[in-house]
Amino acid sequence: MMMGYNLEDGGAEGIDEDAVISPLGVFGAVCPFNFPAMIPYWFWPYAVATGNTYIIKPSSQVPLTQNYLTKLVEQAGFPPGVLNIVNGSHEVSDTMMEHPKVKGISFVGSTPVAKYIYKHSAENGKRVQAQGGAKNSLVVMPDAVMDRTISNMLASFYGCAGQRCLAGSNLIAIGNIAEPFLKSFVERSKKIKVGYGLDESVNMGPVVSAKAKKKVLDYIDGAERQGAKVLLDGRKINVPGYEKGHFVGPTVLDGVTPDMTIAKEEVFGPVVGFMRMNSLDEAIDFIHSSPFGNAASIYTQSGKWAREFRYRCQVGNVGINVGLVAAMAYFPFAGYKDSFFGDLHGQGQDAIKFFTDRKVVITRWF
Amino acid sequence: MVECDFPECNTFGSAIRFALELEKGAAGIYEDLAMEPKAASVAETFKALAAAHKKRGELLEFTRQQKLNEMILEPIQDIRREDYIIDTKTPKGADVKTAANFAAKMEATSAKFYLDAAKIAKNLMAEAARIMDKLGKESLANKAKLEAL
Repeated sequence: MMMGYNLEDGGAEGIDEDAVISPLGVFGAVCPFNFPAMIPYWFWPYAVATGNTYIIKPSSQVPLTQNYLTKLVEQAGFPPGVLNIVNGSHEVSDTMMEHPKVKGISFVGSTPVAKYIYKHSAENGKRVQAQGGAKNSLVVMPDAVMDRTISNMLASFYGCAGQRCLAGSNLIAIGNIAEPFLKSFVERSKKIKVGYGLDESVNMGPVVSAKAKKKVLDYIDGAERQGAKVLLDGRKINVPGYEKGHFVGPTVLDGVTPDMTIAKEEVFGPVVGFMRMNSLDEAIDFIHSSPFGNAASIYTQSGKWAREFRYRCQVGNVGINVGLVAAMAYFPFAGYKDSFFGDLHGQGQDAIKFFTDRKVVITRWF
Repeated sequence: MVECDFPECNTFGSAIRFALELEKGAAGIYEDLAMEPKAASVAETFKALAAAHKKRGELLEFTRQQKLNEMILEPIQDIRREDYIIDTKTPKGADVKTAANFAAKMEATSAKFYLDAAKIAKNLMAEAARIMDKLGKESLANKAKLEAL
């Protein structure tokens, strides 16, 4: 992918033209807490493979994982200075964005910060790819395979305690599947065991901090105030032995409507907003009403519905019977609208373009 | 005697790990029985069964790595670890009948585990269910073969 291309006599007779793909220099990433190992690896391997050096600023909430991984990289024989870790807070991010030798910044986090990173980096002449928040809807059609759909959705809504940008957040049931689906979904949600994350029998761990827990609980309280019915309440969960842990149990809110805050804003917790709609058109219109455009999924056995959803949905990642639309590393990853600020997505061929530039050489021999 | 560490079977991942321990234990049992002097006439059969169980372990490992294409968060609630633990301490000085009966009992437990697990996995993870069903039926066939010795 670093191969350039050329055309003999491309300029005129006797004048050759070559495009050469070159690295740019120093790149950096400002990373979130939720995937302390994985997310920096969306970026830096591509950067160094294409000839650049790299600086990772891990989230100050989870600084240790990258320190450990970088030691392994050192042990593997990487030359000093190629991969670097700088721990710290926003001062470190600002320094990276303002430093003249840094050529580009990758970011993953919330939308307000993504906007700031995008703007501030661009002001300083950097390339930027800034991934922001999400509000992902999972649409279940009347012909969906119920058992497997629910199983898949549970992983989407509750995996990582809902703290990921690809997590399901709104569950939209179309037509008469709503009642039986909701009943079964709630029953199976009740079976999710919440507790200490390193206990193998546990299915869902805590959220990251007291602040994060409060935010999730505030959203549930707010939804209840706005008229949603709490069918499964994770607010007062007790995990014996870990009473001070920041646990939130699986929560299912019924009667969520498009105007409610819970239907519109990113919760980043294990909270399902259940919505009833009459048609796929209505669901797609609702998805498009969101300022976010990270992911959306449909569960159906109908090729027609699946195709329509795939083509019409204006999101960066579409799932068909897949609730967690996380592509393999050779495909690009980013959302649309307020879920992403930039041009070239993370991973895949986009990553190679982000970390390199094209230089054209025109040659004439006298 | 081979040492096994049977995990609780409350997630799909742990059920597969349980199955791997089951195969390790089964292979160890057959290897031990193949060395019993009074059962020497069927030593080759036991060696073949030990090899077959090692191969089953490889199939399970392959299934775990390559075929589980979905993260299943839900707990498994209907498989009690205690119902499927096999005794890996083979009877010393066993003759053919004693050795075969011991192994047949293990195969029966193994078959029950796989067939029960396959039923639970059927609607959630088709490929894993197919493999478990296949292994369960194989264990039943092994049991019948041993009972005929």
